Amino acid sequence: MSVVRNGTAGSETTARARRFLNAAGPFLGLLLVLLLLSLNSESREFIFTGANFKIVLIQTVIVGIGALGMTLIIVSGGIDLSVGSVVAFTSVLGARLLVADVNPALAVAGVILAGGAIGLINGAVIAGLRMMPFIVTLGMMGIIRGAAKWLSNKQTVSAPENSPVNAIMARLNPTEFLPLPAGVWIAVGLGIVMAFMMNRTVFGRHIFAIGSNEATARLCGIRVPLTKLWIYGLAGLFFGLSGLMQLSRLTQGDPSVAIGLELDIIAAVVIGGASLSGGTGSILGAMIGALIMAILRNGTNQMGWETYVQEIIIGGVIVLAVGLDKLRQSRSARV
Amino acid sequence: MNSPLFGIALSALLAGVAFAKEYTIAVIPKGTTHEFWKSIHAGAAKAEQELNSKGIKTKIFWKGPLREDDRDQQIQVVENFTSRKMSGIVLAPLDSRALVQPVKSAVQAGVPVLVIDSDLNSDKHLSFIATDNYKGGFMAGEQMVKLLGGKGNVILLRYQVGSASTEARENGFLDAIKKHPAIKLISSDQYAGATRETGYQASQNVLNRFGNQVDGIFCPCEPPTVAMAKALRDIGKAGGKVKMIGFDSGSASVLDLKNGDLQALVVQDPVKMGYLGVMTMAEHLQGKKVEKRIDTGVVLVTRENMEQPEMKELINPPLKKYLKE
Repeated sequence: MSVVRNGTAGSETTARARRFLNAAGPFLGLLLVLLLLSLNSESREFIFTGANFKIVLIQTVIVGIGALGMTLIIVSGGIDLSVGSVVAFTSVLGARLLVADVNPALAVAGVILAGGAIGLINGAVIAGLRMMPFIVTLGMMGIIRGAAKWLSNKQTVSAPENSPVNAIMARLNPTEFLPLPAGVWIAVGLGIVMAFMMNRTVFGRHIFAIGSNEATARLCGIRVPLTKLWIYGLAGLFFGLSGLMQLSRLTQGDPSVAIGLELDIIAAVVIGGASLSGGTGSILGAMIGALIMAILRNGTNQMGWETYVQEIIIGGVIVLAVGLDKLRQSRSARV
Repeated sequence: MNSPLFGIALSALLAGVAFAKEYTIAVIPKGTTHEFWKSIHAGAAKAEQELNSKGIKTKIFWKGPLREDDRDQQIQVVENFTSRKMSGIVLAPLDSRALVQPVKSAVQAGVPVLVIDSDLNSDKHLSFIATDNYKGGFMAGEQMVKLLGGKGNVILLRYQVGSASTEARENGFLDAIKKHPAIKLISSDQYAGATRETGYQASQNVLNRFGNQVDGIFCPCEPPTVAMAKALRDIGKAGGKVKMIGFDSGSASVLDLKNGDLQALVVQDPVKMGYLGVMTMAEHLQGKKVEKRIDTGVVLVTRENMEQPEMKELINPPLKKYLKE
């Protein structure tokens, strides 16, 4: 949850109201989007169905799980641009492992751990050499994309047809809301766990502290470099998991998939109320942000709007969401 | 949940000229910016106009993946149109494998799918409507034999490893010239690569080695065709001294044909592909039986016949007529 700190004489109730408003911001955005979509009577009956929301949820999983990791990083004042490449790389890795007849459970573990390992490297370079996260992860974006192409021999690697991994994201019974595929439940479960971790554990509060003011955090005795290492490593595990979901969805590892995915993920986190300067952000908000973008895409799709209209709208929503957030913050600063 | 499908089937039975329910047909290309896809769009729009003028109310939804050539984005488009309960989907799959599952789900949900341009490893779709690439290559081979009077040295500049459509064209070409023992294949193991630049380099290298012996050259798609013609001009062998046949039309290769640097172009018909995609879907929706495989045909365009109206329409599709642009 984004935290408003105004320790001045301002009454406790307005502070509480504002905190509520900040937390509710993304929800209001979601409601607004749904409202807009319901205006079109022609497509309304198709958009507001269980079967369609199932699709929206499935389409949110990859960005949503990525947003879990990205929230940690952005709250700590960092950024990770290598996510799209990591998703492509881990999806290829998973496909290769499955083709090589590795036990599916081991392959899944390998894919997630590979994401974590890349995150640890990012974290080690950022914390150890005190380099800008933007530059380090920009470099990693190229390195891992190249590695994915190398690992895949420059072509897509098809997973075995009957591999259990393919079922994680498979849409069974397409006319009903239930059953939801395992991927959706995994994303929801992890979201709850991470929201708890961010708000109720020492590690979580340290992340906020580092993002708010790194120097102060250090003076307070937080081991900043080590914490950063864990942040990027943990986030990497989520990016690896996103790669697994991508593999399951395409039933193949594709070295050219998810180009620019990191920007979708960053947008989701920011729509959810995080600030790129660190210190604020929420898991729940980021998940809602991911959902808003998926719903927009789904809705504009079904209304038959042109692709470019869609791109313009989603771009506009990102700027609007951040603009509103700034407005709220400047008000609270003035009080 | 089968009621919409049943409804469509029922109204299809009742359909005479007046048709109460509107057909909504999604046409999903691989991308939206290339000329080839614009032609497919024009064909689909043409079919839409024709159906409407016949009193069969039809609306097409033209929608490519948000990011060009991104498989996941194309899957999303298919899924979204499935829950939009389209009457039917006409799809040019970006991948023969990755799109299998979403197509299966669509068919399960009662939305029939028809595949155009590139095949899908599935038995769920109604029909596959595309160019017979092997036949196109074979036609080029036969034309080459004719141009050379049955004997001479021939080069095949291949396109790219792993590109199924151009490989079929290459195989067709090779099979056609194989029947003539006096035609000698002096090079067929070089690849042009995806861009004009790599194609130009490969052409120069091949001509450097075989330029003095070669009598005829075949290139299986547009970029190497243009690049090879340029390389031939560089060494003064263009204008018919070396007979050259290309594949696909673009503004540059059409100009080369006009100037006599190319002797023939094998041309596909993307407008027809889009047109037949929508028309065949409409037929299916009306309860008619449709063919499992429909060939949209290839045509040999030469300098002599390129001014004929139907050829002109092929090498320069009338996009403006059907698309409001």
